[in-house]
Amino acid sequence: MALLRRRVLDYTLAGFLLLVPVLILHSSLKDPSELNGFDKAVLRISSPLQAAVSWVVEGLGGAWNHYVWLVDVDGENQKLRADNIRLRQELATARRKAADADVLEGLSGLRQKMDAQTMGARVVGASLTPSFRVVRVRIDRGKVEVQPGMPVINGDGLVGRILHAYGDYSDVLLLTDPISKIPVVAPRTGSVGSLVGLAEQSRYAGKIAHLQGDDVAVGDPVVTSGLGGGFPRGLVVGKVAKVAHPAYGLFQEVEVEPAVDFSDLGPLLVLIADPPPPDPHAGKLERSAAAYGARPF
Amino acid sequence: MRVTAHVFLSYGLVLVLGSIWRLLPIDFAAPDVIALVAVYLGLTARPVNVGPMLLRIAPPTLGAVILGYLGDLLAGSPRGLIAFTAGMVCVVGHLVHSALIVRGRMVTIIFSTVTGATAGLVMLIVRASSGLVPGSLGGEMKTLLASALLTGLAGPLVFRLCRSVDARFARSPRERNAALGGTLS
Repeated sequence: MALLRRRVLDYTLAGFLLLVPVLILHSSLKDPSELNGFDKAVLRISSPLQAAVSWVVEGLGGAWNHYVWLVDVDGENQKLRADNIRLRQELATARRKAADADVLEGLSGLRQKMDAQTMGARVVGASLTPSFRVVRVRIDRGKVEVQPGMPVINGDGLVGRILHAYGDYSDVLLLTDPISKIPVVAPRTGSVGSLVGLAEQSRYAGKIAHLQGDDVAVGDPVVTSGLGGGFPRGLVVGKVAKVAHPAYGLFQEVEVEPAVDFSDLGPLLVLIADPPPPDPHAGKLERSAAAYGARPF
Repeated sequence: MRVTAHVFLSYGLVLVLGSIWRLLPIDFAAPDVIALVAVYLGLTARPVNVGPMLLRIAPPTLGAVILGYLGDLLAGSPRGLIAFTAGMVCVVGHLVHSALIVRGRMVTIIFSTVTGATAGLVMLIVRASSGLVPGSLGGEMKTLLASALLTGLAGPLVFRLCRSVDARFARSPRERNAALGGTLS
């Protein structure tokens, strides 16, 4: 009997103990955010403990992942290497396309400035001196498109002329080449002469051995004269860099610094036909001729 | 004292588990360590003199309720939910203790799985009756099942730790061996 009474008491007490969380749950559902002193104390104690455990676990996990568990790293490395190669190739392609776009843009702008009929070209090769001066360039236009003797220019001025055209390519004779001869004029004084390349190893320069006319000064611009028919008039050649007066002659000896930087030619234009002659009636208002001889009353 | 030690052990386990579990790929379910300790307290309830009374199930129930309440605070669940579940599991564990001997790895895993499922079911019923609307039944069942299985896997380790604590409180080598062997009740 005592045992039964003790057991009933035990289970009754356990039942009451189970009732407590039910009441707590009931009250906490009414206001979930309200914490009593015990709750706050427990959370205050638990939080740093949790932080410490997290710190240890994350440290161990990090060490495990970085130094022990490296099963997939080799495969991942190989994949990343393959990706890297592919992306490098794509980058190189994109850069080449961007450069092509720049070339096209430059050619487009240059062509708009020119009256003559032109054809765009790109430098595909260059011959260099031991001091890395360009002596001859090769462009991607062949004998079907261009002919020897045609002038070649870029945005800064005259580059030279086509020397040979073969297959799909042509060699350009630069104006600094000693076999190049270009009729030029100094517009300020009207002095004319023939520019011959100096072929210096370390710099780009040309010389006008016999410049006829008034004295030119250092810095005077030099353009093509259009005489002789090889080059249209007015293409920028360069500027006077040095002037000498031989004691025995009437001519001046002038050194010309080309306007073009042959080390960085960029897009080129080949002048395949001269500009049309200027319209003699331009700017004048004229009455149209009467049709079929009809006349006003 | 023994029950207090178990409560602290379980509190530590919940703290560690909470820190580890978020780093693992299983994020929708976790082993119910509190239910395991609570059922262990119920299974191994011993007569304790409390003043003039000799109580057996009430002290472990109190311990389970306190443990559950700590779990509520740590988990952020409505206070009382896990406390009630832990108390219930403890009482149920005590009711079945005379019919069961939880020894051996496989039996422990099965018993722990059933404990996890029971705790999950009790919690689901309490939530539903308290107006805490559960999600879809399929999702709840999936979580319950996964949690039960994980609880089953964690069972041998948790029971071993609990038995180690009991061995510390043994009054004789025989009692110590019995506690470690899982035959002490």
